[in-house]
Amino acid sequence: MNIIVCVKQVPSSNEVRLDPVRKTIIRDSSKAVANPFDVTAVEAAVQIREKHGGTVTALSMGIPATEKLLRDEIARGADKAVLLTDRVFAGADTLATSYTLAKAVNTLGGADLILCGKMATDGDTAQIGPELSAWLDVPCVTDVIEIKETDDRHIVCVRNTDAGTETVKVELPAVITVVKNLTIPRLPSIAGIRKSLDAEVRLVKAAELGADPSRIGLDGSPTQVIRTFPQEKKGEAVKIEADKAAAAVMELWEEL
Amino acid sequence: MYDLIQSADKIGAEYLRDESRSTGHAEYAVFAKNEEDVLNALRFANEKDLNVTVQGGRTGLAGAAVPYGGLILNLSQMDRITGMELQDGKYILYAQPGVVLLKLRKMIASRKLDTGLFDESSLGIYNRFFTDKEQFFPTDPTETSATVGGMAACNASGARSYRYGAMRRHVSSVRMFLMDGRCVNVKRGEAFANGLKASLPCTDGSSVDFTLPSYKMPEVKNASGYYAAPDMDLIDLLIGSDGTLGVIVELGLILDPLPEAVWGSACLFEREKDALSFVDKVRGEKNIASLEYFDKGALEILRQQKANGSAFASLPDVPKRIESIVYAELHCRDEEEALGSLLRIGEIAELAGGNEKDTWVARNQSDLDGLMFFRHAVPESVNMNIDKLRKTQPSLTKMGTDMSVPDDKLFDVMEMYRRDIEKTGVRSAIWGHIGNNHLHVNLLPSSTEEAGRVKEMFKEWAKSVTSMGGAVSAEHGVGKLKASFLEIMYGPEHIEEMRSLKRTFDPEWKLGCGNLFSKGEEEKA
Repeated sequence: MNIIVCVKQVPSSNEVRLDPVRKTIIRDSSKAVANPFDVTAVEAAVQIREKHGGTVTALSMGIPATEKLLRDEIARGADKAVLLTDRVFAGADTLATSYTLAKAVNTLGGADLILCGKMATDGDTAQIGPELSAWLDVPCVTDVIEIKETDDRHIVCVRNTDAGTETVKVELPAVITVVKNLTIPRLPSIAGIRKSLDAEVRLVKAAELGADPSRIGLDGSPTQVIRTFPQEKKGEAVKIEADKAAAAVMELWEEL
Repeated sequence: MYDLIQSADKIGAEYLRDESRSTGHAEYAVFAKNEEDVLNALRFANEKDLNVTVQGGRTGLAGAAVPYGGLILNLSQMDRITGMELQDGKYILYAQPGVVLLKLRKMIASRKLDTGLFDESSLGIYNRFFTDKEQFFPTDPTETSATVGGMAACNASGARSYRYGAMRRHVSSVRMFLMDGRCVNVKRGEAFANGLKASLPCTDGSSVDFTLPSYKMPEVKNASGYYAAPDMDLIDLLIGSDGTLGVIVELGLILDPLPEAVWGSACLFEREKDALSFVDKVRGEKNIASLEYFDKGALEILRQQKANGSAFASLPDVPKRIESIVYAELHCRDEEEALGSLLRIGEIAELAGGNEKDTWVARNQSDLDGLMFFRHAVPESVNMNIDKLRKTQPSLTKMGTDMSVPDDKLFDVMEMYRRDIEKTGVRSAIWGHIGNNHLHVNLLPSSTEEAGRVKEMFKEWAKSVTSMGGAVSAEHGVGKLKASFLEIMYGPEHIEEMRSLKRTFDPEWKLGCGNLFSKGEEEKA
């Protein structure tokens, strides 16, 4: 089975700092990590490959430094990696990103199964998976908490819904997006890291994808971020001693 | 003046215990908030002729903070940072004894210090610290609710002391009140012994004059008894004195620049002897900050915990065929250097009979947190097991060792542990700081009869470890529970030397009674 897993570079969660003047997230590439949801998706893909054979390709769009994270995914079990990196991709919103990823999937000759993390920890949109499936015109299952079985033509998964869970059988090719605790991602081994050092990470530019220039990067993005700002601080809490609770509540009531 | 002093019945029973799970008794307790409160408490104890037991986070494993009567002097509310300095390019944080390690780490990592007590000079240093390279405090005992005062009192260490040494190395100054209210304010490099003769100046112009014990300390990781060596820096005596010489009221803590690359790697082995051979061979690798061990007993307990679907469900699976794990943490200049070290570790693991495929590597914080969780899950699980046993047999306690031996005795000591544990037939789990040949051998007796056998076995081990040139307590301190081991290690004459040293600091024998050694003949009489 030919599996593609989409991986995004995000800031390490405890390292998110806002530039006090520009109010934008300070992105320090040395503190960047792979989106944890995507790491789970890679593990799920590797487990499917271990059962059914095939290849797992990690796919990302990002700055050249993202190559390091893709090598890490190879160390964790992916067979190869592709990085879409080109200045014209910069400023892409989810629509332009999913379009570019879809173009890449086709350029790579398609896939039987595409796995994405449910969402990324920086943007929290959860849009890439569904949009990608729309561009590719294949079914999409979101919020997958368990992969029950797979064969050459189908995948059966359990997904979260507002009402509970739902077991879904879909035909392949398909896109599925997974929750973070679908499975416990393995840590890379030294052997895996050794392999990843020599593995090829294919760098792909826009021209190679045959993409419509008006649909990629900033030009292809109807969403514009106008302002990013830290959450306003809410009012202070008032501490009330237990034995004086009744009187204190009355006092607060009067004040309000 | 004595407003803060209360009857010990009024405070929780937890203040009569510490993490060793042994319980004491007391008449009075005081939660000091500042130096004046400490002085008042000491005055009160002198007036009423009370023993004084100093407490911090009560996370000690040797019972040093467990009161044997008298007054509990709890310092956990003296938890402010009082100032900062820059000495020889290193940042020094002045901390009150009750500062909790976890809070200290957070303050340093976020660079958010409470500067309320800072003077102009400290504020200037703080501004520089704020924009400087990231710093850290290297001493890392497993229990992060420990206080820095307690850590200095027992000369705590932790996994990273393999590279950075124990607490002692990271303390630049100690401010301590003696039982008579005098104050000793000693900075590293300022007061030395002359041979074994020493004179420690007090802030009032007087001095404490004494003779250091004449034993030669073993050349291993050691937290057993007073630090004593000819011509030594006298600050080193105060650190590790287990609450017997004075009350620490402020410490200068030396910070280190945080290494650019902190990676973790766990090597899994099918045979314990391969793991030991790996340790023996990997010691030459210079970037290793910690070298930790988990044996088959420890791994089995983890497998059970994981199977029970508890909070440990997210632990990585350890295949059944694996008997031992050695974890190495790498602290490197940059990622390139870390990669070089990691690949060498892989080669050494294969040379020792392991396989590079049987390794777990953490190269980012989230993966490191995962491995850290694994490390901490072992003692946690053993404690849970003990607590379960205690429900039916309350007299049972955790029985663990804290002994270290020289490098060339690692195989011998392990052989001794294995042979004797098998003889007792008691379930065991061994883990700990194998890089320093310092393993915590934990026994889980299921009856008081088994516990008795284990106790005897530990005593024999104390003798054997001493004859190997080792220490009976490498990091927990001697406290009350290991006082008999200290006597085995140094013998009655040297214990007497320690007693007479204590008497020069505390002539009425009030501080930390029962810690390190008993009062001697008088007490028995």
